[in-house]
Amino acid sequence: MIDKTAYRQAMDLSDEQLLHYNAQIMLPEIDVSGQQKLLAAHILIIGVGGLGTVAALYLAAAGTGQLTLADPDQVELTNLQRQISYNYAMQGEAKVNACQKTLNALNPEVSLATIESSLHGELLERTISQADIILDCTDNLKSRFEINKTCFKYAKPLVCGAAIRWEGQLSVFVPADKDSPCYQCFHNPDSRLNQSCSANGVLGPVVGVIGSMQAIEAIKLITGAGELLIGQTLLFDALSLQWQTMQVSPRTGCEICGQRV
Amino acid sequence: MKITLKCFAFLAKHLPVYAKKNAAEVELQEGTSVNNVIDMFQIDREDAYLVILNGVFVCGEDRDTTLLNEGDTLALWPEVAGG
Repeated sequence: MIDKTAYRQAMDLSDEQLLHYNAQIMLPEIDVSGQQKLLAAHILIIGVGGLGTVAALYLAAAGTGQLTLADPDQVELTNLQRQISYNYAMQGEAKVNACQKTLNALNPEVSLATIESSLHGELLERTISQADIILDCTDNLKSRFEINKTCFKYAKPLVCGAAIRWEGQLSVFVPADKDSPCYQCFHNPDSRLNQSCSANGVLGPVVGVIGSMQAIEAIKLITGAGELLIGQTLLFDALSLQWQTMQVSPRTGCEICGQRV
Repeated sequence: MKITLKCFAFLAKHLPVYAKKNAAEVELQEGTSVNNVIDMFQIDREDAYLVILNGVFVCGEDRDTTLLNEGDTLALWPEVAGG
């Protein structure tokens, strides 16, 4: 017997969409309803470098309805070792424009918006408030703290990735979940450390692994599939190919997430 | 008492020479704190950015007062913020 609800939902997708996204619609955790949620979702990717380009490719390929890409930089030769939305001919172009071209070629159905700027202050607030999910793919602690603070202010889920040298880190923060800590619960805003891949080096596939996992968690957040990485941070050491799970609770008195009602 | 000390990324060089897969069993005196171990192995406290005791994060303010027990696993990771 045909499930009438599933049949009606499938009718809301075109034949081409059903074919295009068939491989993930076949997954019972996603199904047609999950694909519809993806097609209706708006994800903000802050930073389209090593992490952001990989996450953006997978999220565009998956049929995310709208992606907003934010980055102030231009494509440089030194980026091409790991930032795989770009090619040799794109050197000198604004990263957001080059990434937009690549994503549009990959999936013209995705609505793409670009912001060729660092996101801070009022612009950051406005941009975050308009998205459903935020991916932090930036390369500096100052931005990470501000993004974390703003996501909690506007109650937006944040998928935070980081990578450098041979190491990677992945966290998901959900302000609406009282068990969810925030970035500042286990990172020190007074840290003297400030790392960039260009200054410290990084292996391309390491950012690829973490950027891919950011895309996985974003898809799970949108579709409701599986269990989210809430209250835990994954740490990856590529040199020994080991993963470690670190449990983190909301820190008592945290000035960011401790304000939740 | 004996604990397992794990050091990842560039912190691995601080482990004893007999360490394998980023881990070494080390002998400690009773009453040894997390920060005592970090100092004992000549690791810069700021480099030991993430401290994980038996899978649970230990924040900076608790590292002097958190004492280790027989069989504990203490893991140290540097900060990761690039992208």
